[in-house]
Amino acid sequence: MDGAATVPLLLTAAAMLALRGAGMLLAGTLRPDHPFIQWAAAVSQAVLAAFVTLAVIAPAGALASLPLAARVAALAAGLAAHAATGGRMLPSLGAGLAALLLVRALL
Amino acid sequence: MPIAPFLSGLRPGVLAALGAPAVAMVATFLAFGAAVRDAGLPLPWALGAALLIYGMPGQLVLLQFAAGGGGGAAPAVLGAVAANARFLPMAVALTPWLGGGRRARFLALPFIAITPWAAAMQALPGLAPDARLPWFLGFASASWSLAGLATAAGHALMPLLDPAALAALLFANPLYFALLLAAGVGAPASRRAVLAGALAAPVGLLLPPAWALLGAGLLGGTLAFLAGRHRGRGG
Repeated sequence: MDGAATVPLLLTAAAMLALRGAGMLLAGTLRPDHPFIQWAAAVSQAVLAAFVTLAVIAPAGALASLPLAARVAALAAGLAAHAATGGRMLPSLGAGLAALLLVRALL
Repeated sequence: MPIAPFLSGLRPGVLAALGAPAVAMVATFLAFGAAVRDAGLPLPWALGAALLIYGMPGQLVLLQFAAGGGGGAAPAVLGAVAANARFLPMAVALTPWLGGGRRARFLALPFIAITPWAAAMQALPGLAPDARLPWFLGFASASWSLAGLATAAGHALMPLLDPAALAALLFANPLYFALLLAAGVGAPASRRAVLAGALAAPVGLLLPPAWALLGAGLLGGTLAFLAGRHRGRGG
């Protein structure tokens, strides 16, 4: 396997064990509302939000072949279905992906 | 702990894992397997990332780096850790519910991830303390196995998909995360973090590609955290 891709994979796998283990060890000492835990949760959510935003406005790979309108429509339809179904995951995913294919076919 | 009752204790968790949450999770790992192949990386890499990291945001950050190449391992690892930083607060919140001995509960360690965590936080408080760790291990090992199978299937199927189907499958992951975030934005702290992260994303584009997500997340997350502290003091 390509070493340039394998080393970060193994380092990340070790870091994930450390992160989960630290959480289990801290469980006895830090309360869930401790500022450090709150900061870590905020950064984690912000990274995810940035990931979603970049996947829509500036994607890489095969996603870049989709028109911007299709990506925006998929996100909007998924979120609208999520709000309309009271947060049900599968119908919302289905609605978003259906909108993606529809707009891609129309443009 | 005796083996036979322990094994039968796994069964309710295994059955719960094969229900509705599994379908969404399988779809995202199928998409991940296809995305790894789209990036030109082999099946062992896909399985290693899926099963050893076992947290889709970090997997995707790492894949984005590995696909782009260059830039050293540091931004890839730090970016993936930041993307999965939620494992830390998740483990803090979950551990008191796991029951079991202080050492036995560490069997749960590799499986603390979004799907098992969310299911466990709902199910465990309603179970007898002795049943909790077996339930979690049953649920988690079934989810984990499904994730590996779905990743391998996605990697194998990717060349057979036409471009439209592939693009739809690849968009399943960002869409899934958008929906997960949407589910949490009722809480003001989550709403601030999501908004700040989305607004900071274009700033990330000004950074070297490997640092884009980590930079945007640190900037947006820290500003959201500070805004929350400020509001907390003001109100």
